[in-house]
Amino acid sequence: MENILEVNNLTKEYDRFSLKNVSFNLPKGMIMGFIGENGAGKTTTIKAILDIIQNYRGEIKIFGLNSHEDSAMIKEDIGVVLDDMFFPEILTPNDINFAMKNIYKNWDSSLFQHYLELFSLEPKKIIKNFSKGMRKKLEIATALSHHPKLLILDEPTSGLDPVVRAEVMDIFQEFIQNEECSILLSSHITTDLEHIADYITFINDGEIILSTTSDELFNQYGIVKCGKEAFQKLDTSDYVKYKKNKYEYDVLVRDKKAFQRKYHMNVIDKITLDDLMVLMIKGEK
Amino acid sequence: MIGFIKKDLAMIKGNMKVLVILFIVYVAMGFASEMNISFILPFMSVMIMLSTFSYDDFNKWDAYAVTLPNGRKNSVRAKYLTTFLIVLVVTILVMFFETMISYVHNNTIDFENVLLTVPITMLSTLLVEVMMYPAIYKWGIEKARIGIFGVVFGIEIVGSLLIKLIDFSKIASAFSILENYGLLLFMIGTLLSLVISYKISLKIYQRKEF
Repeated sequence: MENILEVNNLTKEYDRFSLKNVSFNLPKGMIMGFIGENGAGKTTTIKAILDIIQNYRGEIKIFGLNSHEDSAMIKEDIGVVLDDMFFPEILTPNDINFAMKNIYKNWDSSLFQHYLELFSLEPKKIIKNFSKGMRKKLEIATALSHHPKLLILDEPTSGLDPVVRAEVMDIFQEFIQNEECSILLSSHITTDLEHIADYITFINDGEIILSTTSDELFNQYGIVKCGKEAFQKLDTSDYVKYKKNKYEYDVLVRDKKAFQRKYHMNVIDKITLDDLMVLMIKGEK
Repeated sequence: MIGFIKKDLAMIKGNMKVLVILFIVYVAMGFASEMNISFILPFMSVMIMLSTFSYDDFNKWDAYAVTLPNGRKNSVRAKYLTTFLIVLVVTILVMFFETMISYVHNNTIDFENVLLTVPITMLSTLLVEVMMYPAIYKWGIEKARIGIFGVVFGIEIVGSLLIKLIDFSKIASAFSILENYGLLLFMIGTLLSLVISYKISLKIYQRKEF
């Protein structure tokens, strides 16, 4: 499968934080959910992909091209939603359309108007007077209106109500239907990712600790809830992490079926991304 | 790059009401008291352009701008061209109203005076603005503002010291050159400063992380 985005050994050092050999691939026609707690390195990784930060080690390829050297060509085909970074709030959606016509070769004013209507955004209202959710909708409309092939979205649905979120998720799914377009989607709303992501990449403290298909993750990983006695019988190599609760242990297992065969435990819960994050970050080994 | 200029112009349009009111007040003062209104040029041009930097900074536009095609280069280039455009438009307006004020009060149009003072003010305005931009790109508008005041204050102190220390009668020949070719030299100097300032700003912006 051809990759639309390849991140190889991305390393960026700051005084108190660093990205350590971050690597993952996003194939064409797929949505990748990018998860991790606050400060784990999601936004820094996205900024490196978009050339907002430089002086990193490693290689980033987008559409098979070097993200830094071929930046201008690449950016014609990327749509971006960033957390709190956008057009100045004194502008209106009409002003954005006015400017973007001469920024992107493929800017489609009628498509932009279509999204404005779909999201009930007033074209002449200044951004400052939009609610947080409406601003997000405007950012999404702007990201989609030049027919990009890759969407890079950092918290695109924060501040949106469930109805609009569902609407936006439908748009994202429609976006990848031609199997030529992909989405890298960073979000804390993990239920959205569970619904639409084909891949999940999990970053913690600047390191990728998991990058796999959603099918593999949700079919193979599981949570075993057991008492102290049963937990003590488990071999440490048979589970990833565990968390001790008041009355029971939550144990994260990587291979549900193998675990079932070995320990004859019939009840292994399906994993959610929230469970995965909590156990991977707060759990013990 | 045109898109980036359009974005800056749209921002200026957003503040147009305030700008028009200010302009009308100053022009009215000029008509009422026969005051020279050339000072509007640097005042308004600098105010207009610094406000675009402030809005950009406040909304983290620069981080978004670099994700757009040729964002780093076009963003800087557009700022310089918009500055030139704004200075030019304000200059034309000031020249027009200066002429009108002169005509209303004396029934004659002192073209010579207007044609001498306004271009010098225009070049000075451009010079001041382009000198500020590398600092703004390096440190951001808020920090640069303090730096700019510091530099202006420093120039004033150095200037006043030079006036006290230098015997100007000994360098009279230099003044005669200035008298003959002053405007031309000033024009060349401003254009050279503009090119150097642009190159420095671009270099800073190309390497900047947001």
